[in-house]
Amino acid sequence: MGFIDSLVKRLSPGGYAQPSKQAAKERLKLALTYDRGGLAQGTIEQLRDGIIQVIAKHLAINEDEIEINFDRTSEQDKLIASIPLRMPPRPRTKGGPATTTAEKAPTRSSKTG
Amino acid sequence: MAGRVITVTSGKGGVGKTTFSANVSAALAELGKKAVAVDTDVGLRNLDIVMGLENRIVYDLVDVVEGRCRLQKAVIRDKRIATLHMLPAAQTRDKSAVSPDAMAKICAELRSQFDFTIIDSPAGIEGGFHSAIAGADEVVIVTTPHVSAIRDADRVIGLLEAAEKQQIFLVVNRVQAAMVRRGDMLDIPDILDILAIELLGIIPEDEFIVVSSNRGELAALHATSSAGQAYKNIARRLLGEDVPLMPVDAEKGLLKWLARLFKGH
Repeated sequence: MGFIDSLVKRLSPGGYAQPSKQAAKERLKLALTYDRGGLAQGTIEQLRDGIIQVIAKHLAINEDEIEINFDRTSEQDKLIASIPLRMPPRPRTKGGPATTTAEKAPTRSSKTG
Repeated sequence: MAGRVITVTSGKGGVGKTTFSANVSAALAELGKKAVAVDTDVGLRNLDIVMGLENRIVYDLVDVVEGRCRLQKAVIRDKRIATLHMLPAAQTRDKSAVSPDAMAKICAELRSQFDFTIIDSPAGIEGGFHSAIAGADEVVIVTTPHVSAIRDADRVIGLLEAAEKQQIFLVVNRVQAAMVRRGDMLDIPDILDILAIELLGIIPEDEFIVVSSNRGELAALHATSSAGQAYKNIARRLLGEDVPLMPVDAEKGLLKWLARLFKGH
């Protein structure tokens, strides 16, 4: 980063290290997904509850860490859900029955067109 | 004559619709086109004071709608540019005084007399908005790079599409190059990615807009104003000329010199 750039950054109102443009873009995209789809307030919360109910029947999930977001691009709108699984503690190499669990991806994405 | 009727709208207030309407009308008039700027913000008229014509109003839009005078009598001719005109809104009435049907009729009459009819709409998406777009062939949406203005612009685009307006253009106003450069202001590609409509122009933040409106002068008629230059470019694009966009992120003056010095080229 050049001297001028770092100088400009230091002059940033609020003294943030990161520029704010990305936050603006992401927040706008989510707000516009609601606006355009005419989605009712709380749709994401309801979705979250529904997803938890369905997934929890089959898998142990970390309910507090579920993230649900909309991703808007000019071509396609996506619903992206990140659902961390709660795995049993890894068996230690010493002692205990060697019940290895197949490792699963910590997050899972589902998409809707 | 079959002129063009262009409505300037935004959803959000305070983004620069009136300044845009006044200056683009002036720039078109200076290019030799017969232009009229129409204020449809009944009850909150401002186009007159921005154009410096506030002392010349005798009749207004509502007088025409209600048959108290003919259209020609309410239209004010600017004394600076012979081809520039303004039709003021009424100040003591409300938006319901001009229905969409009445506005469409007035637009048809203006279209037969002027090359360009530029309609300044009120903020909001209520009745006044629907009247303002009723007679429009083309619509220009003015936004700033702020999240609130962009969100409202998106809402307006939806309403215009529902009203079957085919030609919708975007103008991004009050762009601050230094903030764009350091990533603290949404850039033009970001805004176009979100709103997905055709870009007509970019207007830089320019203190001269305040100075010129204080004086009742028009920035587009001043050679030194950067915003004025942007308005002139937009007027030429409306006439079909291929005028390149002014670069937003060009470092200029002392900063450019310093940047070169420290980057070593």
